[in-house]
Parts: sequence; structure tokens; C-alpha cells
Amino acid sequence: MIELTIDGKRVQARKGEHLLAIARREGVEIPTLCHHEAVEPSGACRMCMVEVTRPDWEGWSKLVTACNFPAEEDLIVRTRTDKVMQTRKEILELLIARTPGSQLIAEMAREYGLDHPTLTVGELSEKCILCDICTRVCQNLVTGAISRINRGVEKEVNTPFAEVSDVCIGCLACAKSCPTDAIEFKQVGLERTIWGRTFDLVPCTQCGAPTLPKEQAEWLSERTGMKVEEYFVCVKCKAAQTARTYENIAW
Amino acid sequence: MEKKLLHVYPQRCTACRNCEIACSFAHPIDGKAGVARIKAFGDKEGRVGHNQIVVCMQCEDAACVSACPANALWRNPDTGAIYLLEERCIRCHSCVAACPFGNMRPQADEFPSKCDVCGGDPACVKFCPANALEYK
Repeated sequence: MIELTIDGKRVQARKGEHLLAIARREGVEIPTLCHHEAVEPSGACRMCMVEVTRPDWEGWSKLVTACNFPAEEDLIVRTRTDKVMQTRKEILELLIARTPGSQLIAEMAREYGLDHPTLTVGELSEKCILCDICTRVCQNLVTGAISRINRGVEKEVNTPFAEVSDVCIGCLACAKSCPTDAIEFKQVGLERTIWGRTFDLVPCTQCGAPTLPKEQAEWLSERTGMKVEEYFVCVKCKAAQTARTYENIAW
Repeated sequence: MEKKLLHVYPQRCTACRNCEIACSFAHPIDGKAGVARIKAFGDKEGRVGHNQIVVCMQCEDAACVSACPANALWRNPDTGAIYLLEERCIRCHSCVAACPFGNMRPQADEFPSKCDVCGGDPACVKFCPANALEYK
């Protein structure tokens, strides 16, 4: 265990633990956009910027991203200095210029005093801040169907060459974990469309309600060893089935 | 600390569904009642003592846990119950598909919900007038 200071408070932590995790444990609020507990931090959004220094640095300090900066003995972390707040404000100004369509970014910008952003470079409907949560989630936890494609101003999140992916299983994890709801999907009846591909949701074998795409069931079956057909019963029917099973057990 | 279990006595259940209401209010979403994680089934023929209660059994070798790609389902060593860590959940609803008993309930655009024994003080038990639920 090591000791460090966060906003004047002496706290204990494991060596190498990330500053954001320590701060959250101690109740110190640090704003984040690209942070997701399920995946490794990437430091993409820069919102978690904090100022760090050490007693032996003779007054010198530096700005680091709290999400992936490892804790050291005697580190002094300040999360709300003028320098930090100004930096976060500038980051938000750039983010809002890129993503005028995102309500979350607009709200955060207002919190930092950016009521009337002046710069706009993105399309008005643009919401993606390229935080990489979706691509990290897909690549590390699901099947790796999406990534960042192109470079520079044309960089975007999509399937390779923006073509219909045969790797995608239609689980919607990317869309649901997106902080700005930038990934569009449509689900009507037994059809789910995401990344330009339409998945057929298998109807519940008992009541016909949509369950999940066959591709996701196959992927799950590979991981858990359960039969693919076992996934094609909806929750309500499964609960009713359980109740019937109980009924048949002699008390 | 000795681990407690949520005991279900369906013979005593009157299918009044107080447990469902208690559960909904114990797990609110944005101040509104959430999805009930317990379900009471009244007997179709109305026979006394044939109602059923379906609630998560906190399986030892749980299908939801092995299906979760993000390790978001975690067994709390204090209560022995499986919790959904919302900050780790990627909302792929794999656990919903995997639970063979229908105890992992989806909520539209929200995290799936499952019984977490209210952190060791289940609300359903307190509101059951027939003592069909016991936590011991």
C-alpha cells in the first residue's frame, strides 16, 4: 500500500492503481466520457484531466489523464485547479465543435460555462466523440466487428471498409454502451438493423415474442456450452416454465 | 457471517403480488418504480396452495455469470447473492438469454435486472402478508 494526496486528503491505494479509481472510491468527482469499467482505460476523451505534482518537483506540476495514470507514493493530485478547469473547458469546446448533435456534450459544456459555443466543424447531427468505448467493448469482449476507420478528419467508427460485417452478432453492446448515443440501430418486430446489417430475431418458441439474433445465440452457445435452441425462449415464457416445473415437484 | 438464503414457500403464497410491488419500489429507475425481479404466479384453476413464486436462485454455477462477456455479474461474498455491476455492464443482454429460469429480466434501454436480495434486507420478505417468503 502507498499513500498519496487527492484534493488535500491523504488516501491509501495500491501501487500502480489508476488515479480515477482511487478518486471515485474516495468520493472525489472527476468527469469522464470514455471511461467504462468493463474495458481498459484509453485516455481518449481527456475529460478526466487532473494536475499532479510531488514534493520533490519544486513547484513544477503536470496535467495527466486520471483514468490511466498510475498512483505513486507521495503524489499530490489536484482535481479542480484553474488550470484543470480551463483545460476541461477547452476540451469541451473542441468536442462540442465536433459533435453539435450531442445533448450530453452540450450539457457538460454548459456546466463548464460554455453557453454559446462559437466553433462548429462537424455535421449538425454528429454525436460520436471517438471515445472508443464501443470499439474497445466489441474488440475485447464481443467479436471485434467494429473499429476506427480512416484517418484525420475522416476518422469514424465503423465496420472495416464500412461494409456489411459478417463478424457482427447484433448484440447492440456498442450502441448501448455509447455515452452519447451516437450509434444508430433500429428494431422493428423481428428485425434488428445495426451497422448496415439486418438481423432476424428468433421468435420465442412458445409465444413468438422476439428473443435474440441467431448469431448472438451461436456465439453464446460457443462460450457457455448451452445448446443454441435453449436461448430461443423469451423471459416471460421461461419464468412461466419455471413455475410449472415447481408445480410438478411434490412438496 | 453465516450466509442467508431467500426461502420460498409457495404453499403459503396467495398470489397477492405484494412482493412484486415491493420489489419494483425497492429498485426504482429515475424515481419511478422499476421492473420487479420476483414474480408470483397465481394458479390458473384458483386452487389454494398451488400458486408459485419465481425468483433468482443465486445459482452456484450460474448461467448468467458464465454468459456475461464483461464480468459484470459478481457474487457478493457477504450475502452470497449475484449482483449486476452496472458500471461494468455493456447491456448485451446475454445474461437475459442465458438464464434458464427467466429470472434475469430485461428493461428497455436499461440494465437487465436481477434479484440482489436488496443487499441483505429483501423488501419482498417484509411485504409478504402470508409469510411465503423468508430470508434466513
